Amino acid sequence: MSRPETSAAGVPGRPDGAGEERPQVFDGVRVIDLSRWVAGEYATKLFGDFGADVIKVEKPGEGSLTRRWGPFPNDVPHPERSALFLHLNTNKRSIAIDLHDPAGVALLLDLVGTADAVVESFRPGHLERLGLGPEVLLARNPRLVLTRISAFGQTGPYRDREATGIVLQAMGGPMHATGAAGRAPLRKPGLLEHYTIGRAAGYATLAGLFHARRTGRGSVVDVSGQEVLLSGADRRASYLMSTAFSGWIPPRGVRSVHRSGNLFTGPFRARDGYVMVYVTTREFWNRLVNLVGAGDDEFLARYLDRQSLGADWEHFTRYVSDWFAARSKIEIMERGEAARIPLTALLDVSELLEHPHYRGRNLFVRGTHPQAGSLEYVGPPWRMAGGFRLRRTAPLLDEHGAEIRAELAAAPTAGDAPQPTAADEGSTR
Amino acid sequence: MSRPLEGIRVVDLTVVWSGPGATALLGDLGAEVIRLEANNRTSRQVSATVTRESMRAVGYHGGTYPDRDPEPRPYDRTALFAWHARNKLSACCNLETPEGHQAALDLLAISDVLVENNSNGTLEKLGLGHERLLELNPRLIVARMPPMGMSGPMSSYLGYGPNFNALVGIAAMDGYEGETPDTAGENYHMDEAAPAGLAFAVLAALWDRERTGVGGLVEFPQAENVMAEVGEFVLDYQMNRRNPPILGNSDPHLLQDVFESAEPDRWVAVSVRHDADWAALTEVAGRPDWAPLGADADGRRRHSAALRARIADWVRRHPADRVVELLQAAGVPAGEVMTEDRLLADPHLAARGWFVERSHPAVGTHRFPGQPFRADGFETVFGRPLPGFGEDNDYVYRELLGYPEERYRDLRERGLVTDEQLA
Repeated sequence: MSRPETSAAGVPGRPDGAGEERPQVFDGVRVIDLSRWVAGEYATKLFGDFGADVIKVEKPGEGSLTRRWGPFPNDVPHPERSALFLHLNTNKRSIAIDLHDPAGVALLLDLVGTADAVVESFRPGHLERLGLGPEVLLARNPRLVLTRISAFGQTGPYRDREATGIVLQAMGGPMHATGAAGRAPLRKPGLLEHYTIGRAAGYATLAGLFHARRTGRGSVVDVSGQEVLLSGADRRASYLMSTAFSGWIPPRGVRSVHRSGNLFTGPFRARDGYVMVYVTTREFWNRLVNLVGAGDDEFLARYLDRQSLGADWEHFTRYVSDWFAARSKIEIMERGEAARIPLTALLDVSELLEHPHYRGRNLFVRGTHPQAGSLEYVGPPWRMAGGFRLRRTAPLLDEHGAEIRAELAAAPTAGDAPQPTAADEGSTR
Repeated sequence: MSRPLEGIRVVDLTVVWSGPGATALLGDLGAEVIRLEANNRTSRQVSATVTRESMRAVGYHGGTYPDRDPEPRPYDRTALFAWHARNKLSACCNLETPEGHQAALDLLAISDVLVENNSNGTLEKLGLGHERLLELNPRLIVARMPPMGMSGPMSSYLGYGPNFNALVGIAAMDGYEGETPDTAGENYHMDEAAPAGLAFAVLAALWDRERTGVGGLVEFPQAENVMAEVGEFVLDYQMNRRNPPILGNSDPHLLQDVFESAEPDRWVAVSVRHDADWAALTEVAGRPDWAPLGADADGRRRHSAALRARIADWVRRHPADRVVELLQAAGVPAGEVMTEDRLLADPHLAARGWFVERSHPAVGTHRFPGQPFRADGFETVFGRPLPGFGEDNDYVYRELLGYPEERYRDLRERGLVTDEQLA
């Protein structure tokens, strides 16, 4: 076994586990957030939560669209109390800049000169119309990564189409296959698709930063929401692959067909809620039969090792449903887990906040916001040295405008990005 | 132009969806991703024993195989593997044998990243826990993806994506409007969320390594990663003591739904965001008389069902393409619920070159699903579309590990390194 010289040797090491004192991963990185909606704000949140200085550039007097979305305390709209904005903009600073005003454009360019990345999600062409197109930004800062998030990409015949989340799920996601057979296609709930797109945009931005660190050269990243969803691991990419291979088109409502033989999946009503069953193998099947049929020799004899339910589908399903309906969802989950069956309770959001598993892992982190008060936020998406920290709650609109202007005035010369230097080039391996 | 992860080597011990999706994203950036796959286990979701005959016996349609034919090597021919296998290398390595264990250690000593999504404790049982590996190679980044994390009372709970959707609050809000929770059996959102998150986390660790010189553990609890996506509801509960309702295709801020067109099972998603959208829609539909009822947000909320019934009635009379074209021309968000065959024929994706045609002897020539982003200024990679099982044995054992000829021949003769999967 040999270790090549390019590995650890000669690199100034830092003792592992240096604790809270060590800088966060993105300490020294600056990201400008021009986005106004979920995907862009989530992409930049990833940087801010892991230590970057994220500067949110907002429309004067109005701010981000997520400030208007809510939900709000007592459903009273207030731009500083929107749960969506508060969640997506932790660890960011806010400056209000009018990008339709030449002085605003000049100020933004000064900021761009100090930044590592800019994330925007305007309609394609808008940045150019503001006089802030990619050529302009990269001329100002040749190391800059400019990430452009849009519904259908910066090119192509659908470039200027309008979209919302459900339209993106329809055009990009596996929506044709979700929902019940014989019923309408069904979208995923919440704003999940926007988060998915934002996470991919974050990854692409970081790829660009890594490249710039190694080569000193910037880049422009085109993130089409549709294409992010098309490449998804929620089966969309594999469905596309299947169709390319064979012409087969995945139908809607596969789940109901799955309630036969060794495939028995889906939600069932418990006494106080619901449980999710996901039995996919003979082993799991027999464990489920043994769990619900304990003491009922006739049931066990009839269903153990069954490959297909055939005419017994209704009998079996009713038997299982009755067993679930008589018990609490947590009891069912615990007994399922003890028997090693993929069988979990559907937890409500309120139950997440109280759950000993998440509490014990300190998943929720408390922060105090001047307008929204003390709240617990969903914390680290993953754990690593120098990882997630809640340094500040979401900014008030233009809270840091004066501070950032003063920093820029004090800065030596805009136009050269700060750190890292060419010396970093090629040091990785 | 160069590739961001040029020179970065990733050892891939992942299976099924989220892990392989993550390593694909690292390969896209130029990393060398090497799958270590055992010949006595199914590492590609299908058994080596699948045949046309066995598929017929269980009534499987075979749509995941080229021309619905799994033979002769089903593990090289399944779409469940090919969707994520671009750029990856495959080397046969049975981790539970002393020889396989040693080969894995040898490879990890000269690698930058290990990604694995096995259940908690699996690597430790194999003597490949992260503590041991980080001693062996302090620059290594070990990314582990246990769904519920490496600690805590639910850390060993068994489940698939839908089970964990249930444990993060997503399944409880998933279903048709006003009905009981359902659809979650086909909602694999935790799998959807993991790949880019894991790739970001690995890049972050590589970024940090530039400064510190050391790698380390990345604990990636997939459930906690996806829980960020209900973060606004976590705050809403604290503000208003309520859980998110089941909204189906509707939305509290938008008048929207999916509507079946004149063509059977071809549906169009339509959203009305504001007054102007509604005015435009009523004009396109030729029904100015509908306008007053939905003229403002409050009206659209109160009369949501009635307004959607009217839109449905209009959409039903036109082909899907026509509905989309008319509404988009008027600036109203609309898009067809796309089937896979229509996406493969879609002019927009064609113009953007999203699908990528590639060939491999195991599957022939096909168009493969593309990548989630494109860049101007650095290079991304879509090389060999998939590795046949063990296709890179020679490269990994001889070139990378530098095993002498007789040692390699011995492994092959004893069936420890093969070009075929047996399980």
